[in-house]
Order: sequence, then C-alpha cells, then structure tokens
Amino acid sequence: MTVVEQTGVPKTTPPGRPRRRPSPLGSKWTPYLFLAPAALFILVFQAVPLVQEVYLSFTRTRLLNPTRSEWVGLDNFNRIFSDPEFHRTLLITVVYVITCVVVAIGAGLGVALLLNKKFRGRGVARALVTVPWAAPGIAVALIATWMLNAQYGIVNRFLDAVGLGVPGGAILDSSRYALPAVLATTIWQLFPFTSVVLLSALQSVPQDLNEAATVDGAGRWATFRAVTWQVIKPTVGLLALLMTIWSLRRFELIWLMTKGGPVGATETLVIDLYSQAFDSKELGSAAAIGMVGVVISLIVIIGSRLVARAVEKGDVR
Amino acid sequence: MRRFRFGVTARIVAVLVVLGVAVFPLYWMFVTALSSNSDLFADQPRLTPDLGQFGVFVDALAEGKAAGWLLNSLIIAVGTMVLSVGLGIPLGYALSRFSFWGKAVLTVVLLFTQMLPEALMVVPLFALFRRFELLDSLTGLILVNSAFVLPIVALILKGAIDGIPKELEEAARADGARPFTTLTRINVPLIAPSIAATAVIAFFHAWNEYVFAVTFIFNPDLQPASVGIANFIGELGTPIQTVMAVAFLFTLPAVAFYLLVQKYVVSGMTAGAVKG
Repeated sequence: MTVVEQTGVPKTTPPGRPRRRPSPLGSKWTPYLFLAPAALFILVFQAVPLVQEVYLSFTRTRLLNPTRSEWVGLDNFNRIFSDPEFHRTLLITVVYVITCVVVAIGAGLGVALLLNKKFRGRGVARALVTVPWAAPGIAVALIATWMLNAQYGIVNRFLDAVGLGVPGGAILDSSRYALPAVLATTIWQLFPFTSVVLLSALQSVPQDLNEAATVDGAGRWATFRAVTWQVIKPTVGLLALLMTIWSLRRFELIWLMTKGGPVGATETLVIDLYSQAFDSKELGSAAAIGMVGVVISLIVIIGSRLVARAVEKGDVR
Repeated sequence: MRRFRFGVTARIVAVLVVLGVAVFPLYWMFVTALSSNSDLFADQPRLTPDLGQFGVFVDALAEGKAAGWLLNSLIIAVGTMVLSVGLGIPLGYALSRFSFWGKAVLTVVLLFTQMLPEALMVVPLFALFRRFELLDSLTGLILVNSAFVLPIVALILKGAIDGIPKELEEAARADGARPFTTLTRINVPLIAPSIAATAVIAFFHAWNEYVFAVTFIFNPDLQPASVGIANFIGELGTPIQTVMAVAFLFTLPAVAFYLLVQKYVVSGMTAGAVKG
C-alpha cells in the first residue's frame, strides 16, 4: 500500500502540549487509507445485507422465488404479533435470556470467588474451568445430545440411579424438560467466561479493605456487599449486557439439540426466524421476526447505557 | 484469620466439583469414542476409556470423510484468520490514532454488528453469494466469516494500540517514517500478544461457524467439520464411537489453543466487546 504524504516536516509543536496538532500524521486521507478495506468489507457483508433484511421485513417474499417480492407494509409485523405462537416464542426467549444471564453470572461469580483464594494448583484449575467456553458449539450440542440420549445417555442413567429419572428418559423430547436441558447446556458453555472475567475483576478488590472490614467485625456477607460487590458491580453490569446479547443470538446449540421443539418448547426468536426462512420459506416473516430481535437488542443496549450513566451520576444506587 | 479444617475440605470438594462439571462432557466424548459396542450399550456404562479401542481415531480419519472435513475447516479458519487480522490491524490503528469524519458512526456500526444474529443475515447474504458465485466455495465462507469477526478483532486491536505511548511513534515519525511504517515497525511488534489473541479468536470463530457453512455449501466434499459433525446428530448410520472421535479431534485443537492464549483472549474480549 502506498501512502502519499510529506515526510521530514520539521516538528513545530513543542512536546507535551495537549493541543491538537495540525495533522502530524500525514494528509487528511491517511486514516481512510487504513480503514477503507475493512470498512468496505463490513459494508458489503453486514450493512448492505442488514438494509436488505429491513426491506424484506416489509415485503411478502418466498424463499423459492425471491425476485417476486411484494411490498406489504406492516403486514408481517401485524401477523406475527397477533399470532399466539409468536407470543410464546417471545416468552420462551425472555425466559431463556434471563435464565442465562442470571445463572451464568451467579455461577460464574461463585466459581470466581472459589478460585480467587490461594491454593495449590490454582493455575491449572483456572485453565481447566475455561474448557467449556473453548469447546465448539457443534461439539457441545453433539455431546449434550448423546449424554441426554433416552436409552444410553449417561445423564438418564445417573438420574435413574439416584431415583430422579424422567419416565422413558426422553428429556429432549419432553416439552417440560427440553428447555431446562438446553438452558443447562448453554449455561455450561457460558459460565467459564463470566467466571474468568469476574476473577480478573476480583483481583482489583483491595485486600486491606477486606481485612479492615473483617477487623471491624463485619460478617462475610456484609464485607462482600460493602467491598467486593462495589468493585465488581460495573463488571457484572457489562457481563449482563454481553450475556443478554449472546443468548439472544445463540442458534446452533438449540437448533441442533431440539430444532426448537418439541412442539415449540425451545423455540427462541432466532430459531423461529430460521425455520420461518428455511422450513416455511417465508422470508418476509422471517425478516420481521429478526427485526423484533434487533429492536430488543437495541433497547437492551440503549437501556443499559442509560442506567450506567444514571449510576455514574449517582441518581440510582 | 480463622480457618477451619472443614472449610478447607469443603473448598477442595467444591473446586473438584466445579472442575468435574467443566471437564466431564469432553471427557465423556473421549470415553465414548474409546468404548467397545458392548460397553456402550451395557446396563452399566464403562466410566473409563478403553485404550485398546484407540484405533477408532485412525479409522475415523482414514475411512470416512472426516479428514476432508477437518482440512476444509482448517482452510476456512486460516483464511479467515489472515484476512480478518490483516484488515483489522489497520482499522484498529485508524480508530486508535486518528480522528476523522465518520469515526463515531463507524464505531457504532462495529458495536452494532456484534448483536446481529447470523441466522438473520443468512438470507440476504445467500442472495449476495448467488450473485457473486460464492455459493459452494470455501472463499465465500472465508469472506463472510472475516466480515463477522472483523469488528471484534479491530476493537481489540484498537484497545491494544491505545495502550502504546504515542511518543514512540512520534519519535519514529520525526525520523521520517510514514504512518504505515510506524504501524508495522513500532505498533505491530508491541501489540503482538493482542494480535495473537485476535488471530485465535478469528481462527476459532471460523472453525466453529455452522450457519453460513450449512447454508452456503452443497457439495459434500467442501463441507467443513462443523457441518459434517452436525449431520451426525440424529443420524443412526454412523457408529457413535466414530462420531465422538471426529468431534473430539474437532474440539481438542480449539480447547488447546484457547488455553494457551486465554489470558489475552479474555482481556481482549471484554475490552473489545464491551468498551469499544
């Protein structure tokens, strides 16, 4: 890449002056030369397809004949919002996301507190605990499905042995147990990330404050709330945001374990969107469902920014 | 500080339980791959691997299509890694060191792409791929995977470059170095750990990717391992040991590499994904 600019211009600004310098980095086009290839990429593969998807959501378009696309305005949205099955999809999505966020962060915090104490082999333990997060989703879906196999799955054999067995063992075929099973698998994959992040947040908890609180006679819980929690609170907030976005868009684990079934019991927005597009071949409704997901994500992101700002200002504790 | 013996024991037990929960499914994948049929379907399952069955790994690679799948995954992952890091370094540099018109918009776009589900983008991308004849090609998957991982790569590298004192670059520039040279000679060596971390993230993003691969590839010879393994699920024709052996060979490099660079990956992920 050739960068056209003048070189050897004598430096006129004395060092240490915080004022903005008159373009010491080359011509005003220099930054665009650096970012243009990446920006073009994101434009072609993300921005343009997203705009097309927004357009699709206002049309009636069939997968098999996508060039014959008919503008129908808000019809897709009217239809999905008046469909009780879509209401259930929304409810399942909310349950799925909230459970993921709460349990992944709660479990992650517990593990982080556990691994924050000094003990021999702590480094190995910290490394091993990240294994689920590093495992590919496809492999996780496969092993989870095998472990939950009705006849030969180790989970059913274990549950039978302790007397908690599901009749017939068909956990993933049961509209009652499929969602908890999928949730447990998701959380198994997510908790290492939350625990590693919280562990690094815990490192910045000042130990002398903890000790001072203990000396002052504060109990464990009081010390935790007064010291530790105050330090890790921003991290917990950020993790909650990340977990929300990640579980809203999580696809292959659910798709491969249950395809959204049985009878829609594990159908989240993304699953619904994919099956509308590729099973029902209705691209318009699929796009509309996708837009609902995008709007939910946007609300979460903007909401969390507002809350964070309010907390910073001290309006909310 | 008070330390009860019971407390210490309880903590050891708790740590072991947590590690057991974390590692067991992968262990079980390994055990299942190394089980004889009679063990697999016995009333009492065998809880340890039967090392006499080790040939299953060799067979899985030699007989079926697994070796081809893994090779396709490798090509896609290396391509994505090279392309996304290659484009992400200059983008991260521009975001960190320059102020330019449209910077705020670009940053918001980068953050926004983090929340777009692949399943949503697959339909318009399918149309795009058909027009540019990228269906059924590994190149197409490299391009789309790079586009999806590029924002996080760029944001992580921006954060890393932010941490380098500007004075180093200014000194080089005073000696007549151009921006591109200061980037490659000064910044790149200093952010090498972050570059390694983003390379790992990009590699395994593409290694694990499923939705685009299953939608855009029809030729079985071009399938990556993610699609091949996914097709095993619910399919009765293949012995479960072979399935698990292939899945284990697919999982092991991902886990091993992540463990090697996990420190950088985690700090990069949180810094890049969250703070922007």
